[in-house]
Amino acid sequence: MSHQNKKPEILEEVLSSEGLNHPFSRRQFLKLSGVSIIGISVLEPLFARGETKAPLIIMKQAKGIVIADPTKCVGCRRCELACTEFNDGKAKPSMSRVKVARNLNFGPKGVFPEKHGQGNWGNGLIVQDLCKQCPHPVPCANACPNDAIVVKPPTNARVVDAKKCIGCKMCLRACPWEMISFDSDTGKATKCFLCYGKPKCVEACPAEALSYMAWRDLTDKVPPRVVPTAVIPPEKAAACNDCHKK
Amino acid sequence: MQQWETACLVVANIIRKKSEAGQLLFQKEIFRGLMDQKVLKSDNREQLGTFEAILKKTMKMNQDLKELLDKDGIPRYYSAQFMSEAYTRILLRKEGNPLLLIAEIVRENSALYPRPIPLDTFKNPPFEFTQEEILTCLQKMSGQEDHQDIAQTRTSIGTVFLYSSRHLDSDYASMLAEWLDVGQYNNP
Amino acid sequence: MAKYGGWVGKILRVNLSTGRIWTEDTIEKYKDFLGGTGIGYKVIWDEVPAGTKPFDPVNKIIFGVGPLAGTGAPCNGRTAITTLWPTCWPKALVATGHMGGQFAAELKYAGYDSIVIEGKADHPVWLSVVDKKVEIKDARRLWGQGIRRATIEISHEIGPGAAVAAIGQAGENLVPMSVVMNSYSHSAGGVGAVMGSKNLKAIGVRGTGSVRIAGKKEEWEKLIKLHLSLLGANNQHVVPSSPQPWAEYYDAASRWKGSRGKMWGASTPAIETGTCNPHDLNRIAYRTNNAVHYLGDIAWKYTVRGNGCTGCPIRCHTMIKVPSAAAKYGIPEVGQNTCGGLNFGRSFFKTFPDGPRGMTGIEACMVGMYMSDDYGIWCNYSQLQRDFQKLYYEGIIKSKLEEKEFKSYSWDKYEKGDPSFLFELLPRIALKEGELGTALGLGTGYLLERWSLSEEEWKKSHGLNYWKLGHPKHHSNEEAGQCGVIINTQYNRDPQCHSHANFTRNGLPLEILKRLAAETWGTPDAVDTVGAYTPMNTGKAKMAKWSLLRKELHDSLSLCNWMGPWVASPLKERGYRGDDSIESMLYSLATGDKKNRQELDQVAERIFLLHRALTIRDMGTKEMRTQHDTIPQWVYEDPSHRPVYTKGTTHLDKEDVKLAMDMYYEEMGWDKATGAPTPEAYRKVGLGKVSDELGKKGLLP
Repeated sequence: MSHQNKKPEILEEVLSSEGLNHPFSRRQFLKLSGVSIIGISVLEPLFARGETKAPLIIMKQAKGIVIADPTKCVGCRRCELACTEFNDGKAKPSMSRVKVARNLNFGPKGVFPEKHGQGNWGNGLIVQDLCKQCPHPVPCANACPNDAIVVKPPTNARVVDAKKCIGCKMCLRACPWEMISFDSDTGKATKCFLCYGKPKCVEACPAEALSYMAWRDLTDKVPPRVVPTAVIPPEKAAACNDCHKK
Repeated sequence: MQQWETACLVVANIIRKKSEAGQLLFQKEIFRGLMDQKVLKSDNREQLGTFEAILKKTMKMNQDLKELLDKDGIPRYYSAQFMSEAYTRILLRKEGNPLLLIAEIVRENSALYPRPIPLDTFKNPPFEFTQEEILTCLQKMSGQEDHQDIAQTRTSIGTVFLYSSRHLDSDYASMLAEWLDVGQYNNP
Repeated sequence: MAKYGGWVGKILRVNLSTGRIWTEDTIEKYKDFLGGTGIGYKVIWDEVPAGTKPFDPVNKIIFGVGPLAGTGAPCNGRTAITTLWPTCWPKALVATGHMGGQFAAELKYAGYDSIVIEGKADHPVWLSVVDKKVEIKDARRLWGQGIRRATIEISHEIGPGAAVAAIGQAGENLVPMSVVMNSYSHSAGGVGAVMGSKNLKAIGVRGTGSVRIAGKKEEWEKLIKLHLSLLGANNQHVVPSSPQPWAEYYDAASRWKGSRGKMWGASTPAIETGTCNPHDLNRIAYRTNNAVHYLGDIAWKYTVRGNGCTGCPIRCHTMIKVPSAAAKYGIPEVGQNTCGGLNFGRSFFKTFPDGPRGMTGIEACMVGMYMSDDYGIWCNYSQLQRDFQKLYYEGIIKSKLEEKEFKSYSWDKYEKGDPSFLFELLPRIALKEGELGTALGLGTGYLLERWSLSEEEWKKSHGLNYWKLGHPKHHSNEEAGQCGVIINTQYNRDPQCHSHANFTRNGLPLEILKRLAAETWGTPDAVDTVGAYTPMNTGKAKMAKWSLLRKELHDSLSLCNWMGPWVASPLKERGYRGDDSIESMLYSLATGDKKNRQELDQVAERIFLLHRALTIRDMGTKEMRTQHDTIPQWVYEDPSHRPVYTKGTTHLDKEDVKLAMDMYYEEMGWDKATGAPTPEAYRKVGLGKVSDELGKKGLLP
């Protein structure tokens, strides 16, 4: 059987196994035509065998996430130091995958020393910015022209594969919360990968302000920092049509 | 036997959690915990026998779990991993004889560190006496031969410190109290 | 890749007269001096001639950090600022101020191990360091503004994550009693006016670079966790202040205040600090509350949280929110500081209507911080406030001021303990207004001179805490007998040394202190207990030497001498033992330059000896014992005339103290008669050239 024939079955299997609420009825599914196979993450073995060059679209949910309590953050930045020293062998808060320094003094809005400002110069509240391990659609992964952001079991964290990363920084521009880091020493992007299930930042925090928990969707709960300005590669954009075209 | 293993784990956990929170446990409290967690079904005699055996086994298997007898000879349980022996002494004495507790704590501080201690120490956890209770005890002590050594000194800012004259003479005690209450803060 | 980790490789040099900006190689020139005070003393020795005065353009000011700054080593957020000291009287000598905050780390991330500033700009400037881009920028718009506004405006320009070290009006007006501050509440005393004399308003730093750890990252992680496990609370107090379930011991005066039922009351919602079991490394930040320590239990409900330096889990700066003070005095609701900063406002007043640990004290604290940390006024370890009380209550102020000026102060408010009095006093010190404002801003030495007061009187007074050269004692005999006295003789300001006091006040019973002392300094007799002193012995001399060397080591590595060394720990399973090799282990693994404890202590000795050499050179005498290492009379006197070395008194015997100095000089390998290091002592630590130069001037014994 050709892949073309297998598509609806594969799609349905994938979508139901991912536990996603999809808007299609089975009938609509069968009516789909001209569907190109999208590189759904569960189909990686197919890609490995070189059977398709379709772009990678992450569907799998992450299993864990680091959650922050800003009312407990004491602004020590040991999370940033643990993230970079214990993972990269150097203290480099500018590439930390948990981000506190940028909110430390005045809060997420920047230099806002007015009465209602946050941070050390305001009311004391320090917001720790963390990767939400976004559900589909994953902005950073979708923006990558090289499919370098992949899902890594067992945590299913969204991880930059350094071998594939070409340092274009498109992912940095794609994240609405500006959570992607760039290591100027290696020329590669990097992001929170949940430290194989034992996040170093959580371990390092002296105020219990960070916790590692079962994944939940925070993308609609935390206001974005920026309007993303990434350009999605055309083949990925086309792939969106495969699932979402009526 | 797996049920027993689970039961022992639960017992150990109960004791450790309570020790962390600063509490000694009666047997009946552990029993109730086992019932709450549905490890034991009821409190009939058969279950009681099982419980005693579980408790005995748990104590044997875990080095940190200890048994103490309180003033009435009733066993109490704690985990040495989370509670120090010094703290257990405070808890037991507090139940039995608050007056003696105050005297012993004052003497211990005067002998060990050595230093007088603020009277207010006894208002805070784990003592949690009221001002009246403390003053009543001190007054009683002054009339008892055994406790003639318990004395007071007042610092230049009016804080009352207690000490034992067995271990600290009054001059030294008042100097130390002044250092602890005023001097250290003027020399941060 | 660079040969060493830790250091980032470059010293930033700025000449404000010529505008020249250049760099030097840290390792080539300064590796043997580590960083911090080491680099500071080296630059002053090499480049600033004897006889230079603090406000001369030729004076240099060195913002020094060490190889551990910016790493994950606990307690590394310190910058040591070395220069010729404006309040050192009668002749300026080398000394150091220290500040915490974010500055040290940010400087390392920008790519610099130190900044050396010389010369004088012809108009107000600020130094912008944004990674490798260094510029001298116009600060005329910032001049005349407080530290806070200057910091905000610079942050607008180089980013909200910038670390800005700025002076206030006090430094601008060349008031010797002035500070430089960064990160809202972190001050370095005594150096503000040196920056002011150079027309340097501020240094703003942004860094996106890194500090490399030379060792394997797994080993570094393990070492960091070991260090964290040995930490107590602020000042390395290793027992809680009230009995906790896990604790064998406790001490009401301990800074370890966290407990069940004690809440950070002004956090929303309130957070309980809890029992803080020392094995729980995720709750280290809940142990310390310095606002409660100084202001009383009443401060719990005003506590927002702890704050402090980069990478430090202790959080010794307490942030307090006091809406009633804001409403009453028109100041911000939130303030934060530690120790001296919290005490700044309160210490002026003899009493408050509601006692020393009541609401008025808190209000005075808030008002004091609000002004002193913006005007940038220094307290000289609260000598300013002690002098003020004596000068007022003995009628000296009244006699020295013209009637008009005297009447312009609301002395009734002062006597009543009304914090609003500070609004009349503090601005005038910063702005050098009037005789009182001017005199108080000079520092004790020059104030005594200006008002023709007798230094001898200050040296006899128990309550004034005065020591010498215009500065107070800092943890002397009242803390640690002869060891404390020795330490206080060695510097050109108050010694800023906590190595010994952290140990003696850690709250453990005497028996354990003696056991740890035996392990560290060779004999249990190295420590007595407070007020029960015994005659001098070699153990005490060893402890004094260790304390001094470790202070210089910490100031050069960037470790906090208010937290280390780590001789004791809160862990019963270790016998309350810490690890005296923590510094050398951190240094070796971070830099890749393997040194054991003794080897690193030898580097510290080199740095300390350079300070000694500088003092000798700039005093122009080798007679240190009689001219410099002096001890005020009050050390030898007890107000109630108790005999020495009996229980209940902290005074010492003159002959015994002479023996103490003998033993100390012997321990150091210095000449006993003069107290000056011998040529061998210099050569032993690689300072042969220094020895030769001193020899040419006849300054060797």
